[in-house]
Amino acid sequence: MSGLESYINHTVSIITADGRNFIGTLKGFDQTINIIIDECHERVFSTTSGIEQIVLGLHIIRGDNIAVIGLIDDTVDSRLDLANIRGEPLGPVVH
Amino acid sequence: MLPLSLLKTAQSHPMLVELKNGETYNGHLVSCDSWMNINLRDVICTSKDGDRFWRMPECFIRGSTIKYLRIPDEVIDMVKEDAQAKSRNRAEMNKNRGGNSSQNQNQRAPRSGNRNSFGIRSGPSGGGLGNGGMRAGNSGQGNRPPMQGNKLRK
Repeated sequence: MSGLESYINHTVSIITADGRNFIGTLKGFDQTINIIIDECHERVFSTTSGIEQIVLGLHIIRGDNIAVIGLIDDTVDSRLDLANIRGEPLGPVVH
Repeated sequence: MLPLSLLKTAQSHPMLVELKNGETYNGHLVSCDSWMNINLRDVICTSKDGDRFWRMPECFIRGSTIKYLRIPDEVIDMVKEDAQAKSRNRAEMNKNRGGNSSQNQNQRAPRSGNRNSFGIRSGPSGGGLGNGGMRAGNSGQGNRPPMQGNKLRK
């Protein structure tokens, strides 16, 4: 069984091959790691201002484009002060 | 829930498709297949930088070029009725298969008997060695139907 099974219906962070970070609830996946993310947000990092959250809604992300899927601890995540976190945006995956 | 069953449920709904090259396509999903190839109707294509647009009545997008699809929120609630019922049935069928193991063993016993008799019948047609053995068997055992012997020699 894939290790992703235990992430179902939990909040996950997806780092995509183009360097974006999506947060949302994992609703499903398949053998190619295409995933369903419900209530998806994108977090845009910047060095000059806080993290910007963009609400996107329901997404299917193709497995080809996924680099990392991480489990998010909701209690820790809700304590983050996103407006005051600065960071360089990730670059895309280089092949 | 499988991503492709969600996609199938989203047929006739509007959606946004972003390709790996950064172009986005807004349109209504007409059809999709198991490779995520999709057909869209009433499409607006937006360039990577977002400042050029093209309208087209329909388009086909190869699944492998897709980065992600953005789907109306309500579609996820519609999957539950059809696709999930199917997967639940499948899970129950598997449970039954595993559950009656004693019955399965009983069924298996006669089947292996069949396999043996089949083996005798079909074995000789395989190689020269089998034929040799068969001929010896024929001369030795009177109970073999002559038809089969004839078949084998041909």
